[in-house]
Amino acid sequence: MSDNEASQDNIVPKTEDPHAPINVKVVTSAGEEVFFKIKRSTKLTKLQSAYASKVGKDMNTFRFLYDGNRITEDDTPASLEMEDNDAIDVMVEQVGGGHS
Amino acid sequence: MAGICRLRLAEERKQWRKDHPFGFYARPSKSPDGSMNLLEWEVGIPGKAGTAWEGGVYKVTMTFPEDYPTKPPKCKFTPPLFHPNVYPSGTICLSILDEEKSWKPAITIKQLVLGIQELLTDPNANDPAQHDAYTLFKNDKVAYERRVRQQARENVPK
Repeated sequence: MSDNEASQDNIVPKTEDPHAPINVKVVTSAGEEVFFKIKRSTKLTKLQSAYASKVGKDMNTFRFLYDGNRITEDDTPASLEMEDNDAIDVMVEQVGGGHS
Repeated sequence: MAGICRLRLAEERKQWRKDHPFGFYARPSKSPDGSMNLLEWEVGIPGKAGTAWEGGVYKVTMTFPEDYPTKPPKCKFTPPLFHPNVYPSGTICLSILDEEKSWKPAITIKQLVLGIQELLTDPNANDPAQHDAYTLFKNDKVAYERRVRQQARENVPK
């Protein structure tokens, strides 16, 4: 599903072949992996929403981390210097507080 | 020597990108000019679920000597951590990080970070490195756990 979406937009050429798609996997705490193919110039929010709809949840219930940093709205594989076969960690959004 | 060191670190980084333990990160640091420094890594160690350390991600700086992997990296919590086996400077005291003890060149960064995570919940009271955490751990487990939980809350990632 994400593959189709990714091929539809042709925005902002970046350095080193923005059209070459890379493979990225989203990994959960339970070790489940979901694979995506995404263009280096495509915003990762696309991948995030594709992942959310795949597992049937709202995108805002997840936190996506790449290299320990939360992925923000404008991030693309190119802006994060991602490479083929890199992994993204997905966590369930949590709200801290209270005293245990 | 230096060649081996950098080749190995580049390979470690490559493997890590493909596959790493969930919730951890380990990346070479960047100099202000944007170039990558392979000899110094920024590492994040999450506390184990179901323990007082849960929720926190504890930052470690790993510094690799030019003769790595013959010698182990120096691992330091930044800022220093409240834990019986962490020196007041933040330096971690762990057998697998000690070339006189259990360090072996074959030990990967992945194994190191998992070992450090293990150490968080399983301190060694026979080899204390800091006074505060050691005394509390020895004498008042309840207060110790409370302090660890507080520290976890202070280290929740943004």
